[in-house]
Amino acid sequence: MVNFDALIAALWIIPAVAIILMLALRLPHLAEYLNLLTSIAVFGLTLAILVAVPDKALVTGEQYILLTPLGAWVLFCVGLVYLLASIYAIGYMRLLPEEKPRLHKYYALQAGFALTMLIAPLMNNPGIFWIAIDFTTIVSAFLVGFEKEAECIEAAWKYLIVVSAGLALALLGIILFYWGGTFVLGPTYALTWANLREIAPKVPETLLFLAFLLTLVGFGTKVGLAPMHTWLPDAHSEGPAPVSAMLSGALLNIALLGIYRFLSIVDSGGYSLMGHTALLVLGVISLFVAGLFIVRQDGAKRMLAYSSLEHMGVLAIGFGFGGPIAFAGAMYHMVNHSMNKSLMFFGAGNMMRAYGTKSMSKMRQVLRYYPVTGALWLLGAVAITGAPPFGLFLSELTILRGGILSPNPWAVWVMAILLILIFIAFMNHFRRMIWGPEPEPDEVPTLNLSLWNSLPMWLALIPVLVLGLWWPSGLWGFFQQAFMVQP
Amino acid sequence: MLIFHLGPLATSLFSLLAILALVLSFVMLASHWLKNHVYAFAAESWTIAAISASIGYYGHYPELYIIAALTALFRGTFLPYLVLRLVKRLDIQREFTPLLKPSSSMIIGAALVIFSYEVSRQLGVALHLTDNIAVLALTCMFSLKLIGFLMMILRSEAISHILGLLVIENGIFLGSQILVPGMPALLELVIIFDLLTIVMAFGMLVRFLQTHAGTTSSRGLQKLVG
Amino acid sequence: MLGDIVLQCGQVLTVMFLAPLLHGFITTVEERVQRGKGPSIFQPYRDLWKLFNKSLLVPESATWVFFWAPVVAFTAMLIVPMLIPVLTNFPLPLSDMGDILGGGLILTLGSFFILLAGLDTGQPFGGLGSSRAVMLGILAEPTLILVFVGITFLDHSMLPFVANHLLAKNPVAYWSPAHIFLILAFFILLTVETDRLPIHSTIPYEIYMIDEARILEYSGPLLALLKWASWMKQFIFYTIFLNVFLFPWGLSTTGSFPSVLLALLIILAKYGVIGLLMVGVDTMQSRLRFYRYQEPLALSFLFAVLAIVADQL
Repeated sequence: MVNFDALIAALWIIPAVAIILMLALRLPHLAEYLNLLTSIAVFGLTLAILVAVPDKALVTGEQYILLTPLGAWVLFCVGLVYLLASIYAIGYMRLLPEEKPRLHKYYALQAGFALTMLIAPLMNNPGIFWIAIDFTTIVSAFLVGFEKEAECIEAAWKYLIVVSAGLALALLGIILFYWGGTFVLGPTYALTWANLREIAPKVPETLLFLAFLLTLVGFGTKVGLAPMHTWLPDAHSEGPAPVSAMLSGALLNIALLGIYRFLSIVDSGGYSLMGHTALLVLGVISLFVAGLFIVRQDGAKRMLAYSSLEHMGVLAIGFGFGGPIAFAGAMYHMVNHSMNKSLMFFGAGNMMRAYGTKSMSKMRQVLRYYPVTGALWLLGAVAITGAPPFGLFLSELTILRGGILSPNPWAVWVMAILLILIFIAFMNHFRRMIWGPEPEPDEVPTLNLSLWNSLPMWLALIPVLVLGLWWPSGLWGFFQQAFMVQP
Repeated sequence: MLIFHLGPLATSLFSLLAILALVLSFVMLASHWLKNHVYAFAAESWTIAAISASIGYYGHYPELYIIAALTALFRGTFLPYLVLRLVKRLDIQREFTPLLKPSSSMIIGAALVIFSYEVSRQLGVALHLTDNIAVLALTCMFSLKLIGFLMMILRSEAISHILGLLVIENGIFLGSQILVPGMPALLELVIIFDLLTIVMAFGMLVRFLQTHAGTTSSRGLQKLVG
Repeated sequence: MLGDIVLQCGQVLTVMFLAPLLHGFITTVEERVQRGKGPSIFQPYRDLWKLFNKSLLVPESATWVFFWAPVVAFTAMLIVPMLIPVLTNFPLPLSDMGDILGGGLILTLGSFFILLAGLDTGQPFGGLGSSRAVMLGILAEPTLILVFVGITFLDHSMLPFVANHLLAKNPVAYWSPAHIFLILAFFILLTVETDRLPIHSTIPYEIYMIDEARILEYSGPLLALLKWASWMKQFIFYTIFLNVFLFPWGLSTTGSFPSVLLALLIILAKYGVIGLLMVGVDTMQSRLRFYRYQEPLALSFLFAVLAIVADQL
């Protein structure tokens, strides 16, 4: 029997200690490596938790901590993206010499962001889960605005305002859920996911729907599901590249986990079809909006942000289909997207620094000037649009397969068509960056990218490729198990 | 569900306090002056603290006294102080660019109140509620929520956005005090703390906005589109 | 029965003869507050006497409306006191010929005729005053009706006497938020309908004029009638505000002579207090630009809506 308490405590204490050290010592170079070490430790711990996670929900820590297979999976994604982003951050932040005196603050914020994300998925109390999500917003807003240019601050401000307002709706939903429970369990009871699932069958339909829709819209804002996505392209495109990767690859999953947990409450109330359909519709809208904006996008990271919107739409559709196959596909998609989107943001960060612009129309002949990084980026772009032989192809196909058997098969066709549209749009942008005209003489990139800049891209691409060629059977079994356990 | 039953006079008292909070949000909706907004917000928080305390008294929840005191201290005093300091530092006296005239926004606010009432009434019918105080709490909660959003939509100043958010939070807090007074006190404490943090974060970002973006009005923040 | 009829006449006469006094009182106190000396509080009576003894000057363009408008307005103000509790808190013989809405309609009829009279002579100021008054009325009348609807919801009856009984006897109803918001809404309407700041101006200057502009063409006895009618309107609004909404106590419950006399004294006292309040409003408020006049009315509307919502709870 693994001592999960100790593992989880270590998971939280290590980053906390690292933050304190970074802020106390104020040494930029030390902070780099401290953050790297922290991320390696965190990755190891999340992996250990994932491997050892029991096949039923585990409640520990005075009822405050909840460990489920899905939660452990999300946690693992956080650890993974944090590790990749920490390696890349060393390379990326060294390209910004003017930020050097503030580097220790940056790394402290990054570790703090990771810490809040490591807390949230483990919360057994929906209210505290909400608060943890709120804290991820606050910390990441400062990371988004870290470079203190007008655009960055504007993006951070929009992010904080829009997401806080959205999350306020979710809090209202949580309170309505609790209120529904007081009709069954009496005025005072512990607010936990399990309790809410227990009372759900006895709560009137109207109240349950209202509460669920409020939480769906609230946490949907945090996930960035359209039409609540307005903050997402700004925040993802204006922050430093490693932060964008963490926002996109780790944070969005956590909010989605919240939605899925509330969905499970509606499920146990016996109104499964309505809840799933609502999530599905939001997913389809997100996919549609993302498709439209990707076609006419010029900013490299903005395009990737809309791609995040697309993939959150895919995940929402996957969870919305329900059923073990689509669920497994969605979980598989989660980890693939985390790695692949990190890879894409790293590539975009490299190219932005190299060409000194965010605009894709000015990044020309990428493969000639940066054969390795450029090729990795291109492969990542092929992968992220769901082309074989990469992992996202498998996971999207599985979601589509699961969808045909679901009560909403129409969404399968819409999703397939929109994915093809996005594929074409993506490839068109990359075609222009690779085979486009020569850059102007004064725009020829001269920057030398270090190993720190390309290593994390390799580390992300290889697993995506492997997972695309070979779906480990143990993983499939784990997904089925996770589906059976209440999230 | 309310586990305690109120006398008619206490019911009137509750309704009065709850609707007073609603009226104070209308003061914020109607006034041009940022300072008035902050004072109205402070008064609203004190009203909510009074509601907490009286629920603690009538429903015998002693821990609600602590919540009431903390609400008055943080929401009613410290948060307004922080926002007021921000107003002074930014040197913005009034909201210059309201989308609608105050009278029109008040009428829209009144329509929102009626809408909230209708939603709450439907809920009350669905839940077979016997006492009206729950419907009242729902009405106030939804109305404050919608009015907060209305403020955020109509106003362009960053500080007005913060205040709109605070009104939304106040609405939720008011509703939760009446609907679920038995909710674990820990959660309420943490929410108060969370609110404090978020306002401080807002404060820092607003100052960054002023120094780095040169404006604190959302009309000036037009760089990121598409 | 005979006593009731006497009482009913008494109500009308009270309104008729105390209305100028109320106006004189407010004017005098206002002057005193602003460090002036002010006229005697009986000056309105002298004005009326003087005007009735003057000859009548009629514009050439005037039609029959010009002559009938003051009469209709004055008659309307004589009818309304029969419908509302002025002296007694129980209905008198003719009180059931109209409910609270009926009273409102009769009041509006009076204003409507003055409005026509303003337009009738074809003079610019009359038209200006009439159009302004209509603009105000468009916003004020629905709110007034909403307030009446609110009080109807509260007491489940359209009769002002029922509301008076309910509020006087039942502190829960009196202190309910619905009632308090109705009071606030009605108070704002009171300032609008009785020509007070912040919408109406206290200075008789053409640019600011609303109601006075409509009657600029009048002189002599007809002007006296119009003035008297407007003072009575003010008195009637005070009566509704006080005896139905704010202070439903102190009316005669038996109809005996001493109790009526006592009610009369109490009326003097409480109307005086509200008069003082109005003086305060007039002194502290500044006049709003005409294009912002909808703000107080919107506020009043809002209060009425809140009251109705609170009523349902």
